[in-house]
Amino acid sequence: MTIVVERLTKVFHGGPKRRRHEIVAVREVSLSVGAGERLAFIGPNGAGKSTSIKMLTGILIPTAGSAAVLGMTPWRGRRALTRRIGTLFGQRSQLWLELTPRETFRMLGAIHRLVPLELRHRVDELGALLAAADLFDVPVRSLSLGQRMRCELAACLLHRPDILFLDEPTIGLDLLAKARFRELLVRLNEERGTTIFLTSHDVADIEHVAQRAVVINHGSVIYDDAVATMRRRLLSTKLIDATLERAAEPPRLPGVTFAEVTDTTLQAAVDTSVTPIKAVLDALLIALPVADISVTDPPLEQVIAEIYAMPAQ
Amino acid sequence: MREPWPLVALRSSAMRALRDPGPLAVSLGFYAIVATVLATLWRIAATAHGGAIVGYSSAQFVWYIYTSEAAVSALNPRQIELTGDDIASGAVAVELLRPASVVGMRIASELGRSLPRLFACIATGAVLATLSAGAAPRPAAALLAVPSLVLAVACNLAAQHAFAGAAFWIRDARSTWFLYQKLVFILGGMLMPLQVLPGWLHALAGALPFMAMAYAPARLASGHLDPQLLVVQLAWLAVLAGAAAAVFGAGERRLQVVGG
Repeated sequence: MTIVVERLTKVFHGGPKRRRHEIVAVREVSLSVGAGERLAFIGPNGAGKSTSIKMLTGILIPTAGSAAVLGMTPWRGRRALTRRIGTLFGQRSQLWLELTPRETFRMLGAIHRLVPLELRHRVDELGALLAAADLFDVPVRSLSLGQRMRCELAACLLHRPDILFLDEPTIGLDLLAKARFRELLVRLNEERGTTIFLTSHDVADIEHVAQRAVVINHGSVIYDDAVATMRRRLLSTKLIDATLERAAEPPRLPGVTFAEVTDTTLQAAVDTSVTPIKAVLDALLIALPVADISVTDPPLEQVIAEIYAMPAQ
Repeated sequence: MREPWPLVALRSSAMRALRDPGPLAVSLGFYAIVATVLATLWRIAATAHGGAIVGYSSAQFVWYIYTSEAAVSALNPRQIELTGDDIASGAVAVELLRPASVVGMRIASELGRSLPRLFACIATGAVLATLSAGAAPRPAAALLAVPSLVLAVACNLAAQHAFAGAAFWIRDARSTWFLYQKLVFILGGMLMPLQVLPGWLHALAGALPFMAMAYAPARLASGHLDPQLLVVQLAWLAVLAGAAAAVFGAGERRLQVVGG
């Protein structure tokens, strides 16, 4: 196993000294991750995802429990571990804003003890893999968020890590950039066998990147299963929002529940295990004068509510 | 050939500072004004005092002040505050994920950023001091002031990081910045030679590390050939760098970063 976590707990102490209160950010989390696995560690804001990832990368010391990442205890051997893991925080940049990515790579190359020739070879390779070679000479502050994230990814892959920890890497990206980023992660995993540990509160990240999903809420793991199973049990619902050119009666379709209907707008929840989303869209486009239509995943909060509603196994 | 990372960090930051001449020009302008005003005041005072005060002639005062101001002007004046904010906000967490010393990387980068400013101040100060008071009182001592200035900046940066590390505990390092700056101004000899201070304060200042940050190079540039000042600076640099590393090391172990 690449990552083994046993009853990991983190308690923060907040507030002024006299009125100290405890915040249990992570509560007795246990899980293991195999080499080459793509795991999504998901939960709503404040669930304990980032705190967990910070313990697994050695930034934070847990209050209780144990963890082994690549056979090392992260908070004891952080510096040695950082030579073998890559980390990307969606909300914190590791690139120097005033430099170009290539200059940052030079710095990171020196830190990871790469000789210039090897560094150049790896930068070229990553430029091709991430389709980002043309971005490497642009000052970081001039890059769009999507472009910057590709360069961030290159920066954390430079030393060829065995595990890639990604903390909400798609946050703030537009749909196209998100899709591209997810594709890159899958390709990276398939071509290099890099283990992916991804935290997110975006349901689509699970579906498009992960093979296995672990759901965390209020600091505890509440679900751990293969994404294929999760898709069947929990992610079969899709939401449709449509705007109509004029008032019209929506067709009755099995597995489709119309949540809100006005003269020119409608919202529907589709159980895709009953009727595939394509069939529903086809039927709506034929039957209704559709001006605009979109399909989205249900929010994570809804998925979590369904997990709590599931009968205990 | 593999380059050590502190050297790469230093060079990259220096290149970055040179690429953006705006802030460099502003700090240089500020340095020229403040140093000229202060040097003029001390020159007038010395002249009115019979040509010298505590053994410094008016020309020596001019060279002293242009040098002590250069040592301090080369640095970002709010470095403690910025570093403290990075610690308090958790931004420093990303730096923990590199197999390199966080404080070492920060000091190397800041030193790189400060060096272009320092050498611009040295050149400007030398021209202004020569125009105002004639050539350096003792050229050999003035030459020694150059490496001493680099050591002064390095000592100052190491001490600032040791102070800023307080943010690991008190979450707001702004108050330490204010206190620190005043200590460098007075006990560091930036505003005046330490000999001007009352005896007990002079003795105290001589025993504190702040004297390595302004007084030592200024004393050399004002014509006092005291090479042992460089040795004292090197010793203080080792102590201050060790203190900064110890503070960051202890702080990193108790870092609390909540959220993403």
